[in-house]
Formats: sequence, structure tokens, C-alpha cells
Amino acid sequence: MPGALRRRLAGRIERWARARQGPDTLPLQLQARRLYILPTRAGLAFALLLFIMLVAGLNYGNSLALFLTFTLAGFMLVGMHECQRTLRGLELAQAQAADCHAGDDGLVELRFVNASTLPRRALAARTPGLAPTAFELPRDGGATVQVKFHAPRRGRHRLGRIELSTTAPFGLFRCWTWLYLPLEAVVYPRPAGTRPLPVPSAGRLAQQAAAAAHGEDEWDGLRAYQSGDSPRAIAWKSWARGGPLLVAQYAGSGGSDYLLGFAGLESLDLEARLSQLAAWIAECARRDAACGLRLPAAQAPPARGAAHRAALLRQLALYGEGSA
Amino acid sequence: MKPPGAQRSAMLLPILALLAAALANAHHLAWWCLPMLALATAWHVRAVLNGLPQPARTARIAFALFLTTGVLLSFRTLNGLAAGATLLVAMTAAKLFEARSRRDWYVICGATLFLLLAACLDRQELWRLPLYALCLWLSAASMRGLAGGAPLPAVTHLRESARQLAWALPLAILCFLFFPRLPGAFWSVAGDDEAITGLSEEMSPGRIARLAESDEPALRARFDGAPPPVAQRYWRGPVLHDFDGYTWRRHRGAGQRDGVAGAAGATLEYVGPAYHYSETLQPNTHGTVVALELSRPPADPYVAQSADYQLLARRPILQARSYELTAYPQAVDRAELSDAARQVDLALPPDRNPRARAFAQRLRAQSADDAAFVASVLAFLRDGGFVYTLEPQRLGRDSADELLFGTRQGFCGHYASAFVDLMRAAGIPARVVTGYQGGEWNPIGGYLLVRQKHAHAWAEVWLPGRGWQRTDPTAMVAPERLSRELLQFGDGFGSNATSLLGSRPWLTTAMQAWDALNSWWQDDVVGFNFARQLGLAERLGFGDRDWQTLAIALGAGLCAWLAWIAWSVRRLARVARPDAIGRAWRRIDKRLARAGLARADHEGVLAYCERLAAAHPAVAEGLRPLAHRYVQLRYGPPTTPAEQREFLRAARAYR
Repeated sequence: MPGALRRRLAGRIERWARARQGPDTLPLQLQARRLYILPTRAGLAFALLLFIMLVAGLNYGNSLALFLTFTLAGFMLVGMHECQRTLRGLELAQAQAADCHAGDDGLVELRFVNASTLPRRALAARTPGLAPTAFELPRDGGATVQVKFHAPRRGRHRLGRIELSTTAPFGLFRCWTWLYLPLEAVVYPRPAGTRPLPVPSAGRLAQQAAAAAHGEDEWDGLRAYQSGDSPRAIAWKSWARGGPLLVAQYAGSGGSDYLLGFAGLESLDLEARLSQLAAWIAECARRDAACGLRLPAAQAPPARGAAHRAALLRQLALYGEGSA
Repeated sequence: MKPPGAQRSAMLLPILALLAAALANAHHLAWWCLPMLALATAWHVRAVLNGLPQPARTARIAFALFLTTGVLLSFRTLNGLAAGATLLVAMTAAKLFEARSRRDWYVICGATLFLLLAACLDRQELWRLPLYALCLWLSAASMRGLAGGAPLPAVTHLRESARQLAWALPLAILCFLFFPRLPGAFWSVAGDDEAITGLSEEMSPGRIARLAESDEPALRARFDGAPPPVAQRYWRGPVLHDFDGYTWRRHRGAGQRDGVAGAAGATLEYVGPAYHYSETLQPNTHGTVVALELSRPPADPYVAQSADYQLLARRPILQARSYELTAYPQAVDRAELSDAARQVDLALPPDRNPRARAFAQRLRAQSADDAAFVASVLAFLRDGGFVYTLEPQRLGRDSADELLFGTRQGFCGHYASAFVDLMRAAGIPARVVTGYQGGEWNPIGGYLLVRQKHAHAWAEVWLPGRGWQRTDPTAMVAPERLSRELLQFGDGFGSNATSLLGSRPWLTTAMQAWDALNSWWQDDVVGFNFARQLGLAERLGFGDRDWQTLAIALGAGLCAWLAWIAWSVRRLARVARPDAIGRAWRRIDKRLARAGLARADHEGVLAYCERLAAAHPAVAEGLRPLAHRYVQLRYGPPTTPAEQREFLRAARAYR
């Protein structure tokens, strides 16, 4: 089938299924009417084999060959029901999408509960275009499954469909369902850009200078110089002895405060600016420096910690989209 | 090399299935095929255990070509069931050297099923059924191991595939009975040149002795009424006309296979008592439908009657076949013998048996007519001190002379041959008829079983005005052979089994039961065909005898089976429905409300229990543990499905 036609057909089927199922709300128990099943490639080959056996049996009027064929056909049909059974009644208790950077694969966490007396085997969950995550559910048990999703653009990402499928019990049929969960992930700008970190904000520098002056030696070590480091923090003595250019780090303060903004990035477009800011935030995280934002539509005071940085990245992600 | 998604024990399943399928085909595979498969399997298992790499691609291709050449050398063809099965086993063995992906294993499973099909097409004996079933089971289990997902032990696959096959069985039986069969065939295959023991198309005295010891069944006959008396149990097979001094043969030319149907039996008048019976004939090489003398040709376009009353099949009888027949032991043929036929049945090799010739001519001269001559020859055989034995001395060039005046010992072939010799020497048209005589009555199955060891030869002489008359010279020599009612196994002619069986009646019963089972298997299972399907449809009250009624029955049964399977699979795993807990409690509420102890709308479950405790302490006592459990399940921390089920069970049991 030509690609275009295939895509059109797939889109049509998806719209049909979506309209048919309606939105999904958690907790969700899979009912039979939303389960779809088709033979796999191996299943089609097996059906062909059965057909050949049937023709041979009919032709020779051979009762034993016919009986064998019919038994195998029954075997296949029972397996088809078992395949559907593997998904039916399965409960999706929780679903949570983690934030991610644009261009990376995000992870959505699905909590499945199997409230049945049989295990559910050979399950796989995936989003379109990405490798599936295989998992199994023990009887009377549950599992948390991480499924990758593709997040191409910054901003609010509405999670598309998640396909939950199984090929149990013998790989001749594949039963699946499409989950349309009302999940949103915030996709941060892709960290990119080669501009150096801007100069740390004055307030923190002043404190550092004061600390140095008062001999309150919170000095914690040295690290390699990077462009943008304050000349006052450079360990000139060590450099004078012929060593490399090093920068003093101070415990407690843990480096410098950076108030990041669009200053100096005027030549870039908005997305590139946001990408550069994200890269700077990542750099701050590496240096364990406090950072804040000073943007026309978003302000945040400098601080440390993953949670704070995530909040900053969210602001970047949703920049220009209204409230965070 | 390890197949994905399968533990080591599960990995053995497809290999075991393949071995079982090859074993089921062992009888027609080339001799080198099974040892080669065993080697390939051993290599494969070793490679998997030790993680050896697969052989190079060129080596694998060379091996496959080598095996194909082997098949060609063994069979001179790749066509036909035996060559095809051998090729399939060989190629699958070659595949074992490169089995890596799941797809490879599916291919091996498919080949295994094809091999099983080949075995089914070739052999349908009842005793093979367990082997076929085992092979099917192993194949099914190995397919379950290919689903992907976490590996499971082989025992799990075996258990679950057994259940799956058991559920498939009703469908298989339904389709077996009602799936419309073909009255004919799309295409036919050339028969394999395989020797099947039984009567042959020629007889040299000494040949039947070997067959006489075989307990193999030749045919089974189920009579509508009582079976014919023992003296009339002559089953007519090939009729032999031509004699070269050593060997009796069918007459080539007139009266054989083709173009004889019309003129032939038309002159037979079917008079006297009739025996209607259905016969299941085992495969044979002579192409004759061996039937009770003298049977009308069946309503089968592929069977025709020849001029000498044989029922000739147009096709070789390669599988057991059933015929509905009616025999008229007293049928007569009043037509004159044509000159050509007379010539054939008077011919004798020249310069042979001078004493017998002279003896016959002398005796004929002394007799009033042909019938009297026949009677005096029979009397000579009866009173001449002849002995019936299965181990006679060899006879030379003048076989009749040596038998009649020398050794005086032989079996049916000897006496029939010598008798016809005497008749022809005296100018009476005569021929040898081969077939079976007698049969064992099987009381369990209610049929007459004729075995290969009942093979017999007798003579027919043509008497003016009376036509062809059956004459059994052996009956003169050994009258007990004819008159004995063969009720039990082993008829006493040199059979070692007889004494053993005679002392153990239960063994006789067991063997009769086994034969009856075999007979049922042959007649009703293997021999089930389109005509019987229609008969079944009619018996079930579907009225019309056509394939549409079959289709309706099949459709209805199919729907029922599908519903049953859906229900069964659902039942296999109980799934708690959402808010099963709440519904369970509402049932308890209703029950209590009927007893006049309704819970108020605003009342919590625990408060309700406390209220009850005052007025009905006994009721509250019973309800309290349930109520606590209910509150815990509904409002407490997450619980396991097992706990929920336990509560549901307790709630259902609450009275």
C-alpha cells in the first residue's frame, strides 16, 4: 500500500476509534467493545497452512487430515479469545506524564492493575512511532510501566493515543486498544546555544567579595575557568605558579547567582533564545549555581534546587502561552 | 542460538514436536532421514547449551543441497508423499542449524504440522492415534512458547495447550460431522508402489502359505440380518485363468478391467436368499472388491463387474473403503459359454502332467457326464489319503502329477490347481478362484472379520445347463477347515497363538474388543464421507439430503461453540467488576430490608451495626465483621484484589 494512502487510512481509523470510544477517564477498565484484534503475520501464515491442510483433506477425502485441520482451527479460535481475554478487564489505575525537553522522548508512567485470577502476558504499550515497552502483569497484581512519547515542540504537549497490545497466548493474533488519556506534559525548550553564561548578578557578587574581605573562608575548592567567570573569582596565585586558570568556589554559596534574561540574545529568534536560556539553566545546574529569570513575561528570583529549575523550565516552556 | 522468549525447557518443545512428527512418518521416510534428524537435533541442543555460533552461510546452503540430492537419490523424485515428507524433514533439520529468530521457529512449527498432515494422509490406523495426538499437543505447546513475553516453563505451555486443544475438540467434531465433504476429488495422485500384504493377482502353489499366517484383517462385513452359514462364506477375489505350469494368472485381454461392465454380469440371475451387508475392505494390490459370492455390483461408479463375476475397482484400493453390497449365494448364470471363453478355460501347458492327464481322461470315460466326473474326482481327493498342510514339499515341473500321485500333501492352492488341471484335461472348462473363506464372528462389534490368513483358493467348473459351479477340492481333503464355526481367534492351522488364546478367554475378549474398536474406527471415523454426512443430516431430522442442510447445521453448531468458548475463556479468569464491593453491600442491605431491618439512608454501615446491636444482637454479631471489612475496603488504604474477592465471597454467603 502506498504510504500516503496508508496514512490516510490510519488517520481515518484513528478518528473513528476516537469518536467511538470517547475520552478516557481514570481509573479505566478495558471493556470488550474497545478491544480490536487481528491476526499477525504468523497468524496469516498459519491460516494459509490450515487452508492447504483443508484442501488436501477434502481432496483425498481423508477424515484424519480433516480432523487435524479442524482441531487446529479450533485451537486458533480459542487462542483468539484468550488473546482478547489478556486485555479485557485490565485496569489502568493511574497515568502521569513527566515533563521533558523538546526533541527528547518523554516518559508517561502508567499504573496497571490486574484484578483477575490469571496473569496477563506478553503485553506491550507504546505511543505512535516509538519502540514499545514490554511488560507482564502477575495475577492479582499490578505494574508501573514507563512508555516513551515523542515531544517535538516546546509547550504544552497533549499526549496522543497510547496503544496497549498483546500477542499472547501464541503470537498468531494481536489484540490492542487505544487509550486517549487526558494527559498533558510540559515540554521544555530544547537546551541549545553556544553563548556563554551572562555575568552573575551584582548582589551575590558583592556578598562574595565581602566574605572574602572578612576572611570568612568558606572556600570549597577550585574548578576550571569558564568564559563568563568573574575575574575576581579567579585563583590568580595558582595561575601565577604556572598552573591552569582556576576559579575559586565557595561552600554554602555554591557559586554565583545568575539572573537570566534575553539580554544579549537579541539577534536570535524567540525559540532560539528560549533554547539558550534552557541551556544556561542546565549549565547552572551543573555548576550548582542559583539562577533566576528576568523575562518580559516571566520573573523568578534566583534560587537553587531541581524543583526550582523545573519551575523555571516550565516558565520557559509555556512562554508566550499564557499562565504557567 | 537461544530462541527468544523461551526458557530452555520450552525450547525443547518444538524439537520434540518435530521428532514426534518425523517418527509418525518413519514408515515412508528414506532410511537415512531419521538418523540425520537425530544428529541435527543433537547438534542444535548442544549449540544452544554451549552458545556455539551457527555454521557459515555457505556451509548451510551446501548442507541443504546435499540433503536435497540425498532425497533425489533415494526416491528419484521430489514428488509424492514419501519423497515430500523426507524432503520436509531434511529441510527442517537443515533449518535447525540456523534457527535464531521467532520467525524461524514458526517455520519449524509449520513444517511439523505439515509432517503430521502427511502422516495422517498416509496412515490412519487406530493405534497411531496416540502418536498423532502427542505430536499435535507438542506442536500446540511449542506455538504457545512463541508468543513473546517473559519465558515460561514447558510444563505451563503443555498444560495450557492441552486445555486449549480440549476446548477445540467440540469444534473439530462438529466440523468433522458437518463440514461438507467432496463427493469426488480436485486432483488425484499416482499411487505409491507399496506392497500391501494380501491376495495377489497370481498364484503359484506355495505363495499363499505365507499369507495364511497373517492375522491382518482383510475385510469386515456387517450383515443386516444373520450372517450366511459357514459353508457359504466364500469371499470372491481375483479369478485366475491362465496357467503356465507354475503360476496361475488373471487372463490378460478379454474379461479384465476395462470395458467389461456391460456385457459381463448381465446374464447373472439373482435368485434365492439375499444377504445385505456393508463391507469395509482393507487396501489391496489386486484391485478387486472382495465380496461374498455372488454379490451384485455396488452403486459405485468406480466398481464394475467382470465376465467372471469379479467386482473390479477402477482405481487401486489404497485406503480402506466401504461398500453396500447384496449377495445371492444361489445366483445362476444360464448363458452359454462363448467359444473364446471356453478356449481360455480349457488351455493347459503342453507336455506337462502326463499321468494326471491320462487319469482324468480315463475317469471321464468311466463317468456318465461332467457332473459325475467332478464327483468322482472329489471322491478321489477325499479318499486318496491326501493331507492338508501349510508346509508342503516343493513341487517340480509336473506339479499335478507329483501332488496327486507323489507327495499327496498341500494346501488349498495345490488342490485347486491340481483340480482345475484335471478338469481341463478332461475337457471341462475350469478356473481357479482366489479369495477368502470363512471369517470370525465378532460378537462385540456384531460383524464378520475376515483376516488375511483366511485366504483361500477353490475351483469353478462349467457344467452344461448349470453354468459355473463352485467346487472346493480342499474341502474334500480337510473338511474341518470348512465346517468349523470360527468363533475365536486363531483357526488352528499352525497358529501358535491359538493354544495361548484358548487358555485365556479374557484375552480373546480383549482382542475382539480391540478389533471391534478398530472396525468402528475404520468404518465410522476413517470411512466417514459425504454420503454418510447426508445420512447423518437426515437422521438428525434435517429432512433434505443436500449440502445446504449440512451448512445450516454447521453454522448453528459453530455459533454455539463460539459462544461457549467466549464464556469459557471469560470464566477462566474472573475479573472483579468496578464497585463490586458497593454492589455486594447493597445486596446485603436488600436482604436485611426484606427482614424488616432496613438501614436508613443517612445511616453509615458501622452506625447501623451499632443500632442493630441493641435490638437484634444476634444479627449485629453476624454483620459486624463484614461491615468492618466493608469500611476498610471502601475507605481504607488500597487493598489487593484477593482481599476484595474474599469479602465478596463472604458477602455472598451472608444470610
